Amino acid sequence: MLLCSAPALADDLFLDSQPLPQVLTATRLKQSAAAVPGSMTVIDSELIKASGARDISELLRLVPGMMVGYTTGNQAAVNYHGTSASDARRMQVLIDGRSVYRAGLATVDWSDIPVAMEDIERIEVFRGPNTVSYGANALMAVVNILTRSPANSQGTRVKVIRGERGINDFYASQGVGWETGDLRLSLSGQQDDGFDSDATGADRRDSRRLSRFSLAVSQTLNAQQSIDWQLDAKEGTNQRPYTYTPVFAGITEGGTNSDVTAKDYAGSLRWNFDFNPEHSLYIQGSAQQWDRQQVWKACDAKVSFSPELTRLWQLNPNYAEQLARHMDTYSQGSAPPGSAAEQALANQVLDQWRNGASQSVCGDIDQSTRESRYDIEVQDTLSLSDSLRLVSGMNYRYDRADSDTYFNGTLDDTTWRLFAHLEWRASEHWLLQGGAMYEDTHLSGNSLTPRVAVNYLINPRHGLRAVYSEAIRSPDMFENNVNWSYRVTNLSSPAYGQNSGQYFVVTRGPGNLDKELMRSRELGYNGFFADLGLNVDVKLFYDEITDMISSPLRNNQYIASNANSSRFTGAETQFDWRMSNADRLRLTYAYVDTTASNPLDKLQTARNSGSAGWLREWGQGWSSALFYYGDDALNQYRFERVDLRVAKRIALGKANVELAGMLQERLDNQPTTWADNNYDHRHVLYFSAELEF
Amino acid sequence: MGDQSRMTLLFVSRLWRRGLLLACLLLTAPAWSADILLTAAEDSAGVQAFAQALAQQRPEDHVTFTALKDLPAPNQLPATTRLILLDLPGLDWRLQDTQGPPTLVLRISRLQARQRLGTAHPAKISLLWSDPPLERQLNLIANILPQARRIGVLYGTDSEFLLPELRQYATPKGLEIVPQRWDNISDSRPLQTLFKSSDVLLGLDDPQLYNPKTAKNLLLSSYAQQLPLVGPNAGFVRAGSLASTYSDQADWLAVLDRLLDHPPANWPRTLYPEHFKVVGNPQVARSLGIEQVDEVAVAARLAEGEKRP
Repeated sequence: MLLCSAPALADDLFLDSQPLPQVLTATRLKQSAAAVPGSMTVIDSELIKASGARDISELLRLVPGMMVGYTTGNQAAVNYHGTSASDARRMQVLIDGRSVYRAGLATVDWSDIPVAMEDIERIEVFRGPNTVSYGANALMAVVNILTRSPANSQGTRVKVIRGERGINDFYASQGVGWETGDLRLSLSGQQDDGFDSDATGADRRDSRRLSRFSLAVSQTLNAQQSIDWQLDAKEGTNQRPYTYTPVFAGITEGGTNSDVTAKDYAGSLRWNFDFNPEHSLYIQGSAQQWDRQQVWKACDAKVSFSPELTRLWQLNPNYAEQLARHMDTYSQGSAPPGSAAEQALANQVLDQWRNGASQSVCGDIDQSTRESRYDIEVQDTLSLSDSLRLVSGMNYRYDRADSDTYFNGTLDDTTWRLFAHLEWRASEHWLLQGGAMYEDTHLSGNSLTPRVAVNYLINPRHGLRAVYSEAIRSPDMFENNVNWSYRVTNLSSPAYGQNSGQYFVVTRGPGNLDKELMRSRELGYNGFFADLGLNVDVKLFYDEITDMISSPLRNNQYIASNANSSRFTGAETQFDWRMSNADRLRLTYAYVDTTASNPLDKLQTARNSGSAGWLREWGQGWSSALFYYGDDALNQYRFERVDLRVAKRIALGKANVELAGMLQERLDNQPTTWADNNYDHRHVLYFSAELEF
Repeated sequence: MGDQSRMTLLFVSRLWRRGLLLACLLLTAPAWSADILLTAAEDSAGVQAFAQALAQQRPEDHVTFTALKDLPAPNQLPATTRLILLDLPGLDWRLQDTQGPPTLVLRISRLQARQRLGTAHPAKISLLWSDPPLERQLNLIANILPQARRIGVLYGTDSEFLLPELRQYATPKGLEIVPQRWDNISDSRPLQTLFKSSDVLLGLDDPQLYNPKTAKNLLLSSYAQQLPLVGPNAGFVRAGSLASTYSDQADWLAVLDRLLDHPPANWPRTLYPEHFKVVGNPQVARSLGIEQVDEVAVAARLAEGEKRP
């Protein structure tokens, strides 16, 4: 007879013998908020909806330290803490893991991102550098946009928004599921008039019209493997004001606009393998294209196409500019003082001027660009033990930019990246996380950036953190390798015997720019007071950027260098308080102190900025959301706005209808970011109707 | 008939008291030895291990296992036999006769009983519930997540009947049950609706809703909302649920040991096991920023709470 001790668990008749898969495995589970090795702001679907925002950039006002400004009504310029007056180039922006900053010009065209607000599940903003996890360009922050999984998008949704300032949006989606997968197809469109008037009171040309298509599919292949794939496309027109001012005196003709037709395409495929609960891996490949068609009319004196003036520019741009700006004066006498070669060329140009080259001529300038990116990434997550986890991987990226104006043809770049990140829970209270990234870029060399964080967990809900990280930003193709000249075609009358000509100003990037380096130090606290339902995050930071490339992107005398530096110090906090089942209160505040070697880099930093929100469910389908956003000075202009959204939800059988009204009221009388961005009225009203079944 | 059975009960209970007195006086094991017959449609290592363990637990009794196919009709069995059924086919077999030996039915859930018996309750049959008791699961939530007020509960046609009972237990504890019907498991919209209005999810042991096919979607989507799931059973805790109460073989042996000491007439018609354990998933707790579930201490606290009426 068998003498059996306690029977093995597997033989226990009373324990469920259903073969359940282990779903929330060590590789799938993430760090709790208190244990995150950095500062994180999550904008969840409730906030997205309550904000009534029509653009991702507007949502980012909810992130402490985020500086949201506008170059024109359809060009948001979003910076974390600051820098870059015209373009935000120091933030990584991802949609479901796919980086969407432009391959060549390294900016983010927020309005052209091919994702509808209604398809966004949440936005996770990592406030601080993190190239280890997100790759180069994650210099100051990472905005990670996560779309709703197809499995959570079943049924039909139709939504329309109409309102003042030409607001006219629509959204329609259909989600279907089958035995092993789910799919979501969505179509959307957006239209508005942008700002109303420029600094002179004239009509501001910055409206936009766009339409989008998006398909997302998830498929389970077997217990261990699944694939997710997406196809996105966006097409639309962004109006641009006409900004060309003739170099030569006496030219009165000109164009009316420099509008852009913007088409964005993206496709991505992700293959997930779960070897076992302790080991998983994914491979993600993506292809993207940014197509910007921009042809506009330019008028200037025929001498613009003078081969001699071109050579003079190449010899000495300052001299050439001085001559060009005062052609009438010099043509009365002789060339301005300079070297013999300069004066010889200048006298030839002046002769041409006197002999008819001062006549006005118009033609077409094609400033179009086409940028492409192919990216493949492998990431492996290995749980070595209960307290040790390793995330490592490899990434290859090919970027190409095609532009006659900016690159005189095509320019490409390849990037290799290796990364590893280790999480070690030394004890119940101490958590040590660190990693490094090695990157090698064909155009700008290699680099290694480390990152280390220590979290002390007072208990599972309250944690203190200290973080040191380094991050780099590779100069983009434009900064480093620009070969900028305008070829003007379809001239109204021949110049120098040709119907087209090369404009005399040519700008070249230095080609040897080094990477910008960020060193960031951070102390923080994250806590959740479960009794109150209150989440608090506080961050103190000291960030320095050295070898900074801060020259503005202009085509006369563009001399980029690594000569600049910036420093950001300050504090940020966010409170998210669920006061009751019906009320939620959310506050953010940031104090940022900047010093910058280039004064322009200070302009996009508001010393004080923040937001306050109150969301309430009133019962019987009524809900309201009241938000305040403010910053004391972004590019010297104050911004304060209150938004009120009131919504009513009505159940119609199995369908749901939501009707909402949204009022935005500016509390100040200032332009938005730039003097040319003005509205006629301080308020705007729009309404939305959404049907779900 | 009712009177008669009450009379029998009275008589048996008197006999029982006398027997107990005698046993105490003699300082011996219970005075009578019984024939205990276990049966199941499917024999397995688990069944054999359990039969053996029960035999060891009760050396005075004569414990045997006979496969269902080898048994005669229930009324052919001696009335003094105590019958223990280990699966549902056994119950079907037993139900063919209104008469038969007193029977304990193990491994049957409230849902399964409801499906087979409706609200009827056949005589001489005691149903010992395999699903964690609702009140105990609520107490578990109150213990490990004291801030949770809104308890999200998915239910289907089969499990709907449990809701009134659940509410009845929840109300005195200051908890609110947020029910959500989920008829079509390939449509996850009801889940999203429920997640928005709950602090924690309580899983009912309804295999239509909680099964290997739905586990992934349920656990991943609730985790995405940082919403813990409690229950529906121990198996789900390993898959990614935060915690559950459960009773394993050792617990059931203890329960049976007590019941078998009593004359069958004293057996309850239905019973949740008073012996149980708590299981938690430490990795899930850590990721959700919740204190680790101290399985032994929480189980002891729950048991203590159940002793006090």
